[in-house]
Amino acid sequence: MKLSKIRQSHYLLPDNMTKKSFLDTLGQEFVVKQVENTFEKMAILDSFEWALYEHRILAVRHDNQRISLWFDEEDILDPDEAHTIEDINARTQFWWQLAESPERDILKKLLDLRAMYPVYEGLLRTEQFNLMDNDGKILVFCQLITISRPENSRKAVFRMARLIPITGYKAQSKQASELIKSLGGFMPKLNPIDSLLSALGVTPKPFNIKPRLDLDPQMSSREAASVIISIMIDKQRQTEPGIIKDIDTEFLHHYRVALRMVRAAVAQLKEVFPPQDVIELKQRFGALASETNHLRDLDVFILDKERYMALLPPSLRDGLLPMFNDFEQSRTAEVRRIARWLASRAYKQEITELEDRFKNGYSALETHWSEQPIINLAVTKIQKRYKKIQKAAAKITHDTPDQDIHDIRIDCKKLRYLLYFFGNLFNKKQVKIAGRHLKALQDHLGIFNDLSVQAEFLENYLDEIEHKSKKDIMLIASLGGLISSLHTMQLQERERCIDALAVFSNKENQRLFKQTFVLEQGSKKEKGGRK
Amino acid sequence: MKVIASYSIKGGVGKTAASVNLAYASARAGNETLLIDLDPQGASSFYFRIGPGKKQKKGFFFNQKNRLLKNIRGSNYKRLDILPANLSFRNFDIMLSSMSKSKKRLKEMLALLEDEYDLVILDCPPNINLLSENVFNAADLILVPVIPTTLSERTYEQLVRFFDNNSYKKKKLRPFFSMAQSNNKLHRQTIKEMESRHPNFMKTIIEFSLEIERMGVHRDPVLAYANKKSAAQAYRKLFNEVVSSLK
Ligand SMILES: Nc1ncnc2c1ncn2[C@@H]1O[C@H](COP(=O)(O)OP(=O)(O)OP(=O)(O)O)[C@@H](O)[C@H]1O
Ligand SMILES: [Mg+2]
Repeated sequence: MKLSKIRQSHYLLPDNMTKKSFLDTLGQEFVVKQVENTFEKMAILDSFEWALYEHRILAVRHDNQRISLWFDEEDILDPDEAHTIEDINARTQFWWQLAESPERDILKKLLDLRAMYPVYEGLLRTEQFNLMDNDGKILVFCQLITISRPENSRKAVFRMARLIPITGYKAQSKQASELIKSLGGFMPKLNPIDSLLSALGVTPKPFNIKPRLDLDPQMSSREAASVIISIMIDKQRQTEPGIIKDIDTEFLHHYRVALRMVRAAVAQLKEVFPPQDVIELKQRFGALASETNHLRDLDVFILDKERYMALLPPSLRDGLLPMFNDFEQSRTAEVRRIARWLASRAYKQEITELEDRFKNGYSALETHWSEQPIINLAVTKIQKRYKKIQKAAAKITHDTPDQDIHDIRIDCKKLRYLLYFFGNLFNKKQVKIAGRHLKALQDHLGIFNDLSVQAEFLENYLDEIEHKSKKDIMLIASLGGLISSLHTMQLQERERCIDALAVFSNKENQRLFKQTFVLEQGSKKEKGGRK
Repeated sequence: MKVIASYSIKGGVGKTAASVNLAYASARAGNETLLIDLDPQGASSFYFRIGPGKKQKKGFFFNQKNRLLKNIRGSNYKRLDILPANLSFRNFDIMLSSMSKSKKRLKEMLALLEDEYDLVILDCPPNINLLSENVFNAADLILVPVIPTTLSERTYEQLVRFFDNNSYKKKKLRPFFSMAQSNNKLHRQTIKEMESRHPNFMKTIIEFSLEIERMGVHRDPVLAYANKKSAAQAYRKLFNEVVSSLK
């Protein structure tokens, strides 16, 4: 039956319960027949962001051979309900390494560029029993699931019994549940995934690169800036182990995003620090960022390999392969260099020194702005930045040099960071709308910029080969083709940027920014958003 | 939801054997399946090790959905449920005749299960009565096991005439050869003749087989205990043919 399916129930069992007592107890009322008994190595997989956990999905790798996914938390570890992905090995980490399947599509959405890796490794025993009457009619299905640590398979760290009732045998499943309770079984208070992880001693720490700031509008501006910078340095540091182990490219990306926000806070809120400190901080954080530039460029190129190939006619595609091989090799070397750098004493000393400076209130002479409420600074900065973009947008024509559009892009980015930092100080609904408009514009500006960066990168690469040897005609032809398609795409994107800019700076958006980012936020809230 | 019936005027021709194995094949193919044991002898229920349902007050069977669902039992297999034979079925005929629209009551009752099942299989008792007429109305397809003998041939033709005389849709009738013996000359001949006279015969032939005969000992579908044997393959083939006929 579809609808009237009776819900299964699970019970946590004491880890000292013996299988004999389990069988004897159930045997009091049922003929118990074991139909399944598997014992295998298992690893619970998730990403650094705990994307699967956040979506209440459990992924388990068995014997490094297949992955089981449970999309309904109630079913976790039930072999009959698992969605399996076969043909994997211990090194399978990314969705694109899996064979095509609906499961892969789901993982693609959840993981994107992230790797999934073991967050717990142990041994899994799955036993299934039929609880029957004397005629051999099954009355209740029963599963016993046991997880132990790899080094001690005898001692269970997690033990769960699941009863799956059968239509028309409600009384018997109740009877079975009473027997399980008499063994010390109890229904966990947490939901199934949490009760599993907590028994295993695993604490999920979902990572999100976006800061969740909730500053007090009256906090002094310098303190607020220090809080923001501290939070972002902390996020930056959380990504370091993943970069060193080269788990996926998102670690470095997020390292750079965090660092960029730190630098944005220093540069954009410069009035709260003494001027010579600003120069010093900019220089020091900038130095950290530039160390990672080359690796990030390589990552972006390699990730986009398929897309580049698709831009060329098939006959020219193979011509690009030597270049990508080159990139892969440079990347390997560069990853090693960055890992050494991050692990070096010099780096650690530098970053902890910077960290410490912001941790417990930045100590330096007061400035004109440092002690004023942060809300004042936020309003001034956001209004100024929006007006600047609006003015620049008004001047844009079809003859405007590309450089001016790049400059607007930078201003938009600055505005974006201001919204990250201070969004919560204002009417959340309106900030969200403003943020959406900004995002729409930034998407086009971003593509425009990427295309020009990529074309430039390839041109440099081309120059380099031409100095070395002209033998590789195919590669040169391919690169030529690629660069020219990038230019064409860039021209098209430029038009889209101009259109988006016009929207972003229209009367309606001007009003939105004027009314949203204001000082008297408190009174506005009370009036329930009335204008 | 589709409804198929396993029906014949004649007894002991393999109706129950077909019902049980097709139901199992259907569940294995991923369909939520309900086997309704309409025969008071309860042979289908017996094969699935399910005792007769509680004795019901007269008139119960056609009452509301909840009470109907309450009598359904899950089998030992996923997605396969049984509505066991009920002793009150003995009085089924009497009961039906006392009701209005009595030839469509079964169809109405099955409509209540529309959301619950993909396929319903009716294992019918052997005779022509009011219950059978309910079956003719309710089923999308009526499988009729025919042993390839002259006598069986005559009973099948009797059924066809009944359909003609009472304007039931003959298109629903899909006979198949049951307990056929390929080494029996008479069987072979009958099969040939009947196939040419009745093009609606299913292609699949269920041969006489010891594996099927032993179902009573195993109390399980042949497909469950002799999955690889030719008898099991034949039922699977018959199921696939049923599925494509239902489209
Ligand atoms: N193909 C076959 N080969 C051998 N024995 C068979 C075959 N089909 C059915 N039988 C056996 O023949 C007997 C009658 O079969 P079955 O119960 O399926 O017929 P039925 O038409 O349902 O009978 P009834 O009219 O009594 O309900 C059973 O013992 C069954 O095991
Ligand atoms: Mg029968």
